[in-house]
Amino acid sequence: MCIRCLDVSRRSLLVGGAVAGASLATGAAQARIRPAEMVPLIGPGFRPTDRDEIGLWQQMDRVEEEIAGSTLLIKDPALNLYLKNLIGKVGGPAARDMRIYLARIPDFNAVMFPSGFAVIFSGLLLRMRNEAQLAGVIAHESGHFLRRHMIRSWRDLKRKSDIFAIGSMALGVAGGAAGVYTGDIAQLAQLGTLLTLFRYNRQMEAEADAMGARLLAEQNYPAVEMANTWQQLIGEQNASARYRRKRRDRGYDLFATHPAPETRMADLRVSAAEVTVPGRVYDHGRDRYLRAIGEIRPTLLDDQVRLNDPGASQYLIETLAQDGWNGLLRYYEAEVWRLRNRAGDDARAAQGYAVATQYADAPAEAWRWHGLSLVKAGRQAEGRAALAHYLQLKPTAPDAPFIRQMVSGS
Amino acid sequence: MRRLGLAVVLSASVAMSACVQTRQIADLQFTPPQGDFKLLVMRPDVTVNSVTTGGLPEPRADWTEQARANIITAMRAQQAERGGNLQVLERRDQLPGVSADTVADLERLHSAVGNSIALHKYLGAGLPTKRKQGLDWTLGEEAVSLGRKTGYQYALFLHAEDNIVSGGRVALQVLGIAGCFVGFCAPNIGGGGQFAYASLVDLRSGEVVWFNVLQTGSQIAGIKFGDMRTPAGAAQMVERLLGRMKPGRAIRDAQRAQQRQH
Repeated sequence: MCIRCLDVSRRSLLVGGAVAGASLATGAAQARIRPAEMVPLIGPGFRPTDRDEIGLWQQMDRVEEEIAGSTLLIKDPALNLYLKNLIGKVGGPAARDMRIYLARIPDFNAVMFPSGFAVIFSGLLLRMRNEAQLAGVIAHESGHFLRRHMIRSWRDLKRKSDIFAIGSMALGVAGGAAGVYTGDIAQLAQLGTLLTLFRYNRQMEAEADAMGARLLAEQNYPAVEMANTWQQLIGEQNASARYRRKRRDRGYDLFATHPAPETRMADLRVSAAEVTVPGRVYDHGRDRYLRAIGEIRPTLLDDQVRLNDPGASQYLIETLAQDGWNGLLRYYEAEVWRLRNRAGDDARAAQGYAVATQYADAPAEAWRWHGLSLVKAGRQAEGRAALAHYLQLKPTAPDAPFIRQMVSGS
Repeated sequence: MRRLGLAVVLSASVAMSACVQTRQIADLQFTPPQGDFKLLVMRPDVTVNSVTTGGLPEPRADWTEQARANIITAMRAQQAERGGNLQVLERRDQLPGVSADTVADLERLHSAVGNSIALHKYLGAGLPTKRKQGLDWTLGEEAVSLGRKTGYQYALFLHAEDNIVSGGRVALQVLGIAGCFVGFCAPNIGGGGQFAYASLVDLRSGEVVWFNVLQTGSQIAGIKFGDMRTPAGAAQMVERLLGRMKPGRAIRDAQRAQQRQH
């Protein structure tokens, strides 16, 4: 939608005039939106009846067709069914109407489209520690649909750009007749219009957060997990920035489309307390979640580790390990060090692979790297034994012939 | 969405002015299909927007459907005149023996190739080693195999959009022109117009043999050079875009040489 915001600025080159009021309404801080006020604006089986929304949906059908056929999608039927059931649970009245697609993009994001289909990035599945956290993100996205945010922001944009165009033209003509230059006011009004558009967008996000917390609690998930998600994201971004000796972009910005993560986290904590009923038992569904993503978790970790963002990767692995270390996490922890390759990292990685192989669920690759590290350190016999174990686990690995040669010692 | 990108890039390349413009490029050896040829028209990508007072294009479902139907009718009439047999795809799964995914893949591939054509032929980033070589792009084996499976000789990819200026914007334009009399002149706020491109692929070689871009529009909101929502307007658009296919440069040179000999 913001690609279209630019249109406003181009128009302004042609005209000179102003809508004065628009610039004044922006500065004030936004108050938290209460979950209790967030009632769904649509019921089951919603179809658009207004002309602008019908047009929007028609375009979105094409977009959905493209996305549904995209090669980026993870097709795993069990996992997709799991996600479908999850949106069916926290989707409120539109639960049965919404569609959900899982794209293999190693990034923290999820998007809801105007016609009720959501795209979840695989990086999100990596970061979520339990079902409640994932359900929280999905509930937030459902909130956008249930509160009709896309058509509302489109209408907001339309209304404000109309007012700006008419106002600036009228003022310009009036100024021309009176012999006064009104171009400066026009510039100011344009900035004001843009700022209200961004502010409106942030308000929609805050609404979706509040709506999400409510949907989550209604389905017996602990709503506080939504706040925890933000805490994890802030931690990750800090760790990533620290490694690069930079400072995290904190997101306090008049031009931001989303509220700052800190604000969202704080608001969500209060909202979560509001929707939590004392004495009721809430279930974060961690086991269910791990069962569902178990198949693709190695892929998720692999994609993340290869992003060359060791600060974030290490933070993520450590966060996931708060629920208990296992062979997979230990292996990828060592991978982060190996790929980071700072002084002493090779020794650290070697140790990491050694630790990983202590776990029964260590991936075959852990044995491979463990063996190679041992060989490199001059411990030939032990190294060969580890490599032999690797071959046993993965006899058809692409590098199996090479490893076999190493093991046979010729 | 990549398709949309191509449209934006191409529309930026043709200078905005009050007129109708086309710019076609062909393979050096291209001869326009004549006689008894079989043409497969890939699902036409048509959008009709209403331009709001503030200048935002808002998609209109009913107008889009109308324009799509008109364009398809106009194309059928035009190609029948040339002797071609054509099928216009309405869905991706309409070709017997060809899966919807294959058609989707080809559409995406064409979109990428079209982007490259736009960049190197329309946006001025000409490739020094490809100078004066006409259109030299191919969709490769995938297109050839589609041709083999379906028996079509050509495939045509078509994108068309029309922006209809709303009453509010026309009123704003009138005010802008009226302002000229008091010293505040905004005579060209624009916003309307058509944009279309077509790309012809020879399914026997897989090569993109002909490409054309059409842009119509005026900088005065309310003055238009065609309207795809009407049958006549759609026929006019199709005629402008596909009507005068010129042969490739080598063919034209040969024809000219022949004329000189006579």
